[in-house]
This record gives sequence, structure tokens and C-alpha cells, in this order.
Amino acid sequence: MTSPFTELERAGGSGAESAQAAALGSGTPSRGRVLRVLRRDVGAMLALSYIVLIILMAVFAPLIVSVSGWGPLEFDQSAIDPNLGGVPLGPWGGISSTHWFGVEPGSGRDVFARIVYGARVSMTIALAATTLTTLLGVTFGLLAGYFGGRTDQLISRVMDFLMAFPALIFMIAVLSALPAGNRSTLLVVVISVFGWPYLARIVRGQAMSTAQREFVEAARASGASGTAIVFREILPNLRSTIIVMVTLAVPGYIGTEAGLSFLGVGVIPPQPSWGQMIASSVTWYSVDPMYFAIPGLFLFLLVMSFTVLGDRVRAVIDSGEAR
Amino acid sequence: MNRRFALTVALSAATALGLSACSGGSSNTPTNATGGQSGTSFTATPTKGGTVQVLQNTDFSYLDPARGFDGGVNNFYRLIYRTLTTSAPGNAKDPNAIVPDLATSLGKPSADGLTWTYTLKKGLKFDDGSAITAATVKFGIERSWDPQIGIGSPYAKQVIDAPKSYQGPYKSGELSTIETPDESTIVFHLKKPFPEFDAVVAQVNMVPFPQGSGAGDEFINKVVASGPYKLATFTPGSIVKLERNPNWDQSTDDVRTAMPDGWQFNIGIDPATIDERLLAGQGSDVDAISGTIQASTLPRLQTPQLKGRTLTMPGICTTYMGLNTTKKPLDDVRVRQAINLAIDKTAVQNATGGTQLATLTSTIVPTTVAGHKDFDLYPSTGNTGDVAAAKKLLADAGQANGFSMELDQRTLPVAQKQSEAVQESLKKIGITVNLNPIDASKYYETIGTPTQQHDAAITGWCPDWSSSAATFIPPLFDGRNILPKGNSNLSQLDDPAVNKRIDEIGAMTDIDAANTAWGDLDEQIMKLAPVVPLNVAQYVYLPGSNVTGLFASPGAAAGGIDYVLVGLRDPNKK
Amino acid sequence: MARYLVNRVAAMAGILLLVCLFTYAVFFLFSPDPAVQICGKTCTPERIDQIRDNLGLDQPFWSQFLTFLKGIFVGRSYGDGVSAVQCSAPCLGYSFQSSQPVTDMMLQRLPVSATVAIGAAVLWLLGGVSAGLLSAVREGTWVDKTLTGLTLGGMSIPNYVLALVLQYVLVVRLQWLPFPQAVPFSDDPVQWFLNFVMPWIVLAVGYAAAYTRLTRANVIDTLQENFLRTARAKGLAPRLVWRRHALRPALTPVVTVFGMDFAGLLGGALITETVFGLNGVGKLAADSIAKNDQPVIMGVTLLAAFFVVIGNVVVDLVYTVIDPRVRVGT
Repeated sequence: MTSPFTELERAGGSGAESAQAAALGSGTPSRGRVLRVLRRDVGAMLALSYIVLIILMAVFAPLIVSVSGWGPLEFDQSAIDPNLGGVPLGPWGGISSTHWFGVEPGSGRDVFARIVYGARVSMTIALAATTLTTLLGVTFGLLAGYFGGRTDQLISRVMDFLMAFPALIFMIAVLSALPAGNRSTLLVVVISVFGWPYLARIVRGQAMSTAQREFVEAARASGASGTAIVFREILPNLRSTIIVMVTLAVPGYIGTEAGLSFLGVGVIPPQPSWGQMIASSVTWYSVDPMYFAIPGLFLFLLVMSFTVLGDRVRAVIDSGEAR
Repeated sequence: MNRRFALTVALSAATALGLSACSGGSSNTPTNATGGQSGTSFTATPTKGGTVQVLQNTDFSYLDPARGFDGGVNNFYRLIYRTLTTSAPGNAKDPNAIVPDLATSLGKPSADGLTWTYTLKKGLKFDDGSAITAATVKFGIERSWDPQIGIGSPYAKQVIDAPKSYQGPYKSGELSTIETPDESTIVFHLKKPFPEFDAVVAQVNMVPFPQGSGAGDEFINKVVASGPYKLATFTPGSIVKLERNPNWDQSTDDVRTAMPDGWQFNIGIDPATIDERLLAGQGSDVDAISGTIQASTLPRLQTPQLKGRTLTMPGICTTYMGLNTTKKPLDDVRVRQAINLAIDKTAVQNATGGTQLATLTSTIVPTTVAGHKDFDLYPSTGNTGDVAAAKKLLADAGQANGFSMELDQRTLPVAQKQSEAVQESLKKIGITVNLNPIDASKYYETIGTPTQQHDAAITGWCPDWSSSAATFIPPLFDGRNILPKGNSNLSQLDDPAVNKRIDEIGAMTDIDAANTAWGDLDEQIMKLAPVVPLNVAQYVYLPGSNVTGLFASPGAAAGGIDYVLVGLRDPNKK
Repeated sequence: MARYLVNRVAAMAGILLLVCLFTYAVFFLFSPDPAVQICGKTCTPERIDQIRDNLGLDQPFWSQFLTFLKGIFVGRSYGDGVSAVQCSAPCLGYSFQSSQPVTDMMLQRLPVSATVAIGAAVLWLLGGVSAGLLSAVREGTWVDKTLTGLTLGGMSIPNYVLALVLQYVLVVRLQWLPFPQAVPFSDDPVQWFLNFVMPWIVLAVGYAAAYTRLTRANVIDTLQENFLRTARAKGLAPRLVWRRHALRPALTPVVTVFGMDFAGLLGGALITETVFGLNGVGKLAADSIAKNDQPVIMGVTLLAAFFVVIGNVVVDLVYTVIDPRVRVGT
């Protein structure tokens, strides 16, 4: 599933497809087998290594920056030309032994340090949003699917409503209207509020069919409460669906965070974010293409790595089910 | 007051820099950034004919001059509207001066200074052929009191005496304090003497209109022109075309040359696109001008042709950081002085776009505005801040360990970088600056509300006329002007000596003497350090090669290219 | 069928009403006071009160909301007396910042958004479906693998990144395309077309990738289904099997998704339009957000929701027509 936000966008596309595939069955291949298969897959391993690299970068950002010598907020006036609009001195956007990825025009801040710290923002927000979306999506999907009737009616209407909403426009409007305060938390909440129906829709469908199966009937007959059945009996059976959906959701949220930052409603500067770096490089790309290329490449590779990984995980789980 | 907004829009967004005219010039001779080695002269007299193209990002605020009031639109108004007096054209000996326009001469004050009389020239007509009479001038001015229409320049309402309940001609009828004894005489009665009343009637909302016209939203899409051009087509957000007004008579107008046959304002173009088009300079873009170019375009102006086409005009708007003198420890003058000493103005300048787009300033009133005095109370080597001296002052004030303060920050790229530069330089003297981001559209509302503003804020100020510092110093530092909303005295400075001096200078009838006094007051205020003057935005233009007659007008165009003199070298060139 | 339609339309109206209410409530709560914005910068508290009174801003929330709803159907006026401002139906509000009814502003911009959406849709449908078919037919070969790799890349590249890459390569470096600038079709059709090439590509790439995968997966699924084997066993010519039995069911989901995606884009491709400076509805939204022009933001939100909801209904209807497996009204 790519992001559910039109144009950040393209709601239906891959979402519908993955939903279909994931909805095929509910057998869960063992975790060991999934890992074994993935380990032989070059693409998946490359993607995984890149993701691990970015996570390490995010976790050890202060340490890395102390080695590279420049913090993400430090100005370096000697690295830019004040007479030419603050363009970085030297070729390739000021790449040198002191500034490994060059500097930001106008301030001389170190691009490497900003990339490293930007990874923190990207990963934190995407993972937090994924967690929250999963919680909301799974809970509401299960409730709607298992209890049916009024509960289902209500939840389904809310989902219809949220999915009909032009989320991107609305998110930007709300984010710019609300006091900036803690923008990161707001981002997570807003992304999740509009994101969960896409997961809930599928969980609901699966919960409905699972609810008819014998072991659920048996639990019900033995007097287990509704909530207990939902979380003890049905949920474990949806594990693979959820794993697939979640892995495929992460790249969407990374893209969304970067997109919102690109549009100026993401995290607040000077806190660095890749989307924001790309946005500020827009005017500079013909003079200083590296300033655009570096964050653009980091972002693209991260989204792609998660997409590839999600795709492979799904392939393995699907084929496991088919067997 | 509105100019502040125009300016800061221009300062803070590279985007908004496409805005057509917010820039300035002390001398009326523009300078080529590089000395103009190509020999192109931008001051050559244009040939009659052709259409001047203007490329801009931002739409005009309003076609109605009672509503609009900002650097971008004021300049445009001069092409279609006339007022009793106006700013001198950019090529005048003193471009800061106020000169007669519809009136035969500047106003004649009575002995007590409370009554001002103007006489209209003969043969003045609107674009529909009807005569511009004293009654139409009076009617146009009365529109300023309408609560929904008169949202532009505030000076008429502030200076001209009027009943408290007066709500403009549509709701309250005629205003008795503006008299029209005959067709061509108009007499104003003031609340109290205002020696610079000529600058008030030069404001854009003093335009004549046929009696009874312009109610509601009539002038939103329509223009009744009194100037050399009238509206040909108007598509909001995209195109404004002007064509000649056949009823305008050159012999009545000493300000406008009106060389081109028409003007076309191409609106809503992305700033990057504007720069690309100007760089390429193809097709009708040879006839094009625009607002200042973006910082990122400067490194591309390296060929001799482009260098020769570059035109720089110094601005009239000061970017400054206001320090809220009511907050601790900023209430201690030594702390404010320490901040003035510590700020790395060069870093802020670079954040603004470097040396070409901003000049450093140590005074409140910029060099381009009458009333400027040269001084620097807080010098440092290379203007990068004097950390040692600042630390010493902080220690004297008992703040040797530093403190933390909140800086309100407008969330637009340039403004963000400026405040980050401030944050970095104050870190060096132990002051932790926490940035408080405020959405660009709500920024001024917030910092102009004393209950909501924090310790400091970066903003800009442009005077409403450049013939004196009367619209520079009082709005920013008059302690009796601290308003609960829409406050412009950000530092909330309320110093009896300053207040008293403001009144004394405001009453001076000799404008030159007043300006000298404003300069001294500037220094007196800077000793109190309520603000940190950061820089004065400067404008770099890249006009099409066929455009000429480019002069800076501090009064009419906030220092940018004065439209009324612009024309083409060769109207037939393709 | 008729009853189904009525139900759908009712549900649709309900959702639109909810979107209206929700949007209105959010802006009512969080927006800065519109009266302050209208009042301009030289404003006194009395003036603000006057304006609030004039525009009914002092009314309670529900009454304001009902006036707004009423405006959509019968139009309304803002203020009273000679200085009243008319806003005829369907009145989605009035922008005091640009002094225009919101509906007019959006209608002016809609053709650009439609041009962007239609051009991109043609590209991604042709590209995506044919690549998907090719991939399915050559399942497992290098063609399939290459296409799969490309689609992963296409899905992963954020459109604003792609936009900048294309602009750098095609315009700055290779100079194959002129720097994009809006020109009316009537003035210069060639320039007009060239201006849209990059936005179309940028918008289409992501969708094309998604549609390739969708088509591929569906065709492969369908090919494995029983009725196809039967058709083949009956000795139908392979070409006929393909056309009559495989393509139709395989492409049904594509139609569904396409309807939704296309409808979503009609409400404005905010990022693409902004990056390329195209004056469509999306850019209008972005600009209005930057200016905090609340009525316009609300209008665009409603317009976009309207398209999405209509798109949903149309898709459902089309679905019943093209997919024999679905019967409605039972």
C-alpha cells in the first residue's frame, strides 16, 4: 500500500492490489521460513541493509556528527560566497574534506549533518505513524468485522467518510492552522487519522470470514467474551495480513512526512528533514544540483527499500499460503 | 503601516520577492551591480509605443486604491490613478520629495496649520470623459471612512477632522470637514496641525472618483482611471492589461511620461520561472521587468551580457529584531545592548541573500530615507558580533551565565534562516534562543498583540513616505502607541524623553530641520537598544534588454523601479 | 437498480454533508478571526465588531453553518445595504482576501487541473496497463523482472523529487524542453503542449507503476481461473480467449481504481501543480493555505470531496455494467 493520500497520492493503485493478495487466505508461514527465503533474496537484503544503515544513522546521529565535525545547526560563513547570494564555495555544492556532502546555500550548514539528523525525523515519524495506524486500523477493523451490525455500520461510515476526504489538502490546512507547538506529534496524529481506514477495511473483511470458522464458534460456545475472542482467537489469524499491510505502509508514511515537510507544514526548522531540504533546494537546483541530489537520493532509496522489502515479504507469505 | 507587510512578505519569501516593487533608492541613479561594463544605460529616454511586460508572482491586493496599500500595488496605482500631490518621479532631483499632481501646487496651510487648501489644474478628466472636479476628489477621499472599503492607508482618517460616527459617503453622506467652495478648490480641516499634510494627500487612497460610484465591490473588478492608462482586461490572479486612457492629457501631468501604449502584468508566475525567463530574455520578455531576482539566480549572472543587464537599487525598508522591553531580563538596557553587540549581522545578511540583496545597517532609518544619520553604537569587526564586549555587558547586568529567550519566527524560508542565524550568534554569549514558529499568515497579528508576543521578533518596516522619518520612528517607538492589537511598537518602548521628542519634531514646520532632528532621535533611541537593526533589503533587477527609463522611487515604489517613467527602447523590436 | 441508485445518492449526499460540517467546524475552531483579516491592518476593535456583525460572524456556529449550506443551493449575500457582496449559487463562500466568490475562483482553475489529470491519466493508463499485460504474459522472464524493478522504482520516487530531476535533466542540462510557463492554448499550442509534458509525466509515473502491478497481478490471477481453462478446452482461439474471457475480468479492478484515482486528481494535483507553477485548483489550495484564505481552502476541500464521492458512485455503476459477476439490486 502506498500512502492513502492522493498524489502523495494515488489511493487505489497498489493499495487495492496488495489488499487483494493479502486477503487470499489466513495461514501464517513460520517466521523462520520467511527469514530463510528473504536471506537468499539479493534485492531484499540490499533493501534491508540500507534500512539498517539509516536506522543506525538515526540512532547514532550525535556520535556520527561529532566525528564529521559539524553539527546540523552550525553556520559556516567561510563555506559560502556572500557576494553571490550565498552559493557554496567550491565545486559539487562545496563538497570537501570538512563538509562531506557540501553545505547549505545561504548559511553554510553542513549537509551531511543535516542528512544524518534528518534520518531521525523520517524514521521516527514514519514508524510512529505506522504504529498508531496499525493500532487504530486493526482495532476498528476487528470490531467492525467481528461484531457486525450497528458497530460495523458506524465504523464503516466513519471509514467511508475519511476515505472520501481530500486528505492531503486537509492535512496541510489543519497543520498550518494549528499552532506549531509539537509539530512531530501532530504529523503522526494527522497521518494516522487519515491512514487507518485503509488497513481497517481489509482487517474487517478478514475478521468477517474468520469469525465464521469453527475454532471461533468453539470459543464462543465455551462462553468466551466478544473482546476475548476478537483479540485471542481472530487477531492471531490475521497476523500475516497485518504484517504485509504494515510493511507496505511504512514507505507511504515516509513519503508523506517528506511531502508535508516539502510543502512547508512538516517538522519545524531548524530541525532538519529531508523533505524540507529538498524544498529549499528547489530554487538552487540549476546552480547547485548536489544540494538537491543528496537528500533526494537518500529519500528515494529509503522509500524504495521499504517498498522492495514489503513486496518481498508479501511474496513469501503469499507463496507460503498458496502451498 | 501597511508597508511593513509588503516588505516582510518580500523579505521572507523568495516567492514573494517576485512582488513587483519593494525596494528603494536614495539617489535616483540606479547602479549596475558590476559597474555596467556593457555600457547599457537603463536611464535612456524610452521611445513612444509598445507594451511593457511585468512578470510577477503575487497578485495585486486590490484595484481599488481605498483598499490596497502596499509596495506592490502603490506603484501600479500611479499608472491609472492620480492624487492631489504625489511622490516626485524617480528621475527628479530629489526623488523623496512630494510634488503637485492634480493640484496646481502643494497645499497652502492656514496660519494655525489646521486648514489646508488645494487648487485643481484645468482640463482634468476621468477615462469616461467626465471632469475631475473638487467634488469628485472629495468623494474619493470620503471613501476612506467606509468601514468595509477604507482598509488601505490610515492617514486620512488619522489627520483629517471628521465626526466619530462618520462611515463614508455611502452610509453617512458628505463629510463636512472637507469643503469644496468651487469646482477647483478643495479645503481640508485637520484635527491638529500636521506640517506634512502634502504627504497625506499623496497617499494612494486620495484618488478622485465620480460621485456615487464604487459602492460595495464595484471597484473590485473595475477601474475609473484618472491616470494615463485605463484597465483593458483583468483576470484576477493571472493578467492585468492596461491601455491608454485617451482622456488623460500629458500637459496636465509633470510626473508621468507614459511612453508605452500599454502595460501587461503577468501574474501568478513562479519566481523561479520569472528568473529563468529573464535570464533567457526571449520573445516578449525583452520588454519585461519584474521584482528583485532570487538569491539563487545571482551566481548565474556571470556572462558580460547578464552582468550588464543587472540593475541594483537600494531599499528603504529596515529589517530589525524587536526586543520586548517589558520582559525580563530584556528590560535591562545592558542586556539589550549586549544582544546588539553579539548579533552576527553578516550571518543574518547571508541568510537574507548575501551582500547583493541586503546591506547592513546600524541605524533604524536607512540611508535612503530622509532623516537618516550615520552612526554605529555597537560596532564589531566585520560586523560578525563582538562576543567579548557583549559578554562583559551581560556580566555587568548579572547575566554572566546567560539566559533563554523566545524568538517569534515567521515560517517562511528567509525569515527562518534569519532567526536561525540570530539563534546561532546569541548561543556564543550564553543566550539560548528558542524559536517560536508562527504561520506566515498569522505572524503580524500575533506579534502585534502584546499579550501574545514573546521576547523578540524579526520583522521589517517601510516608511509610508520617504520625505521624512515621520512614518519610521513614531510608529515603532512612540510609547503612547502601544496598542492591544495591531501594535507596531514591538519593543513596547515607552520612554518619556523619546515620546516628548517625537511630539516636538512632529510639530516642526521646517521639514529639513525635522529630518536632522529625526536622525539625532534615531541615535538617542539606539542607545536604549530596543531593537537590533539587521539590514536593509536591496533589490537586484534583471530587466529585459529593450526596457529603459528605470529609476528608483523611494516614495512611490518603496524604492523600486518607478513605473511612471518606464518605456521601451524600440517598440517594434521583436 | 433505481432503488440502488437512490440509496447511493443519499449516502453520497450524507458523506458530503459530513465533510462540509467537519471542514466547517475545524476552520471555525482553528482559523484566525476572518473579521480581523478583512479589517486589514489599520484596524480598531469597533471596526472588527462592525464587520463581525455585518457578516454574521457573531452568530452561533450552527446558524452560520446553515447559512453556508443555504448559500450552496440558493446563493447568499455578505453584509447588507450598498456595500453588500453578492455570491450566487452554488456559493461555496467568498474570499475576502481576493474579493471573489470561491466558486468562481475554482471554476477558473478547473480547466488546468482537468488538463493535468486527463493528460496524466491517458499516459498512465496506456503505459501501466500495457506494461502490466506484457509483464503478465511474459511472467518470470527478464522482461517481467525488469518491469517489476522499474515499477518498484516508479512507486517509490516522490513526485516532487521526480519533477526536479526531470526539470534539471530535460530543461537545464539537455534543453529538450523549454522552461515551463503557462501559455493559453490559443496563443501557442506547441508551447502549451510542451508546458504540460513534464507535469503529465511526473504525475503519471507513480500511477503507471501501480497500474502495471495491478494489471499484472489481475491478469495472472484470471489466467489461472477455471473458466479460462474451460474456454481453452472448448477449443476457442487463444486470441479470442484473451479478448473475451481474460482481459475483461482482469481489467475490471483497474477500472475501479482508475475511477477513484482520476476523481481524486480532478480536485487538484496539489504538489505537481505547485512544483510546476500551474494555476490549477491544487495550486489554488496551496496558495490559499499559505495566505490562510480560509473560505478558499474550504471550497477546494469540498470540491475535491465532491469529485471523490461522485467518482465512487460512477465506479460502482460502471462496475455493474462491465463485470457480469456483479449483479446489483438483489
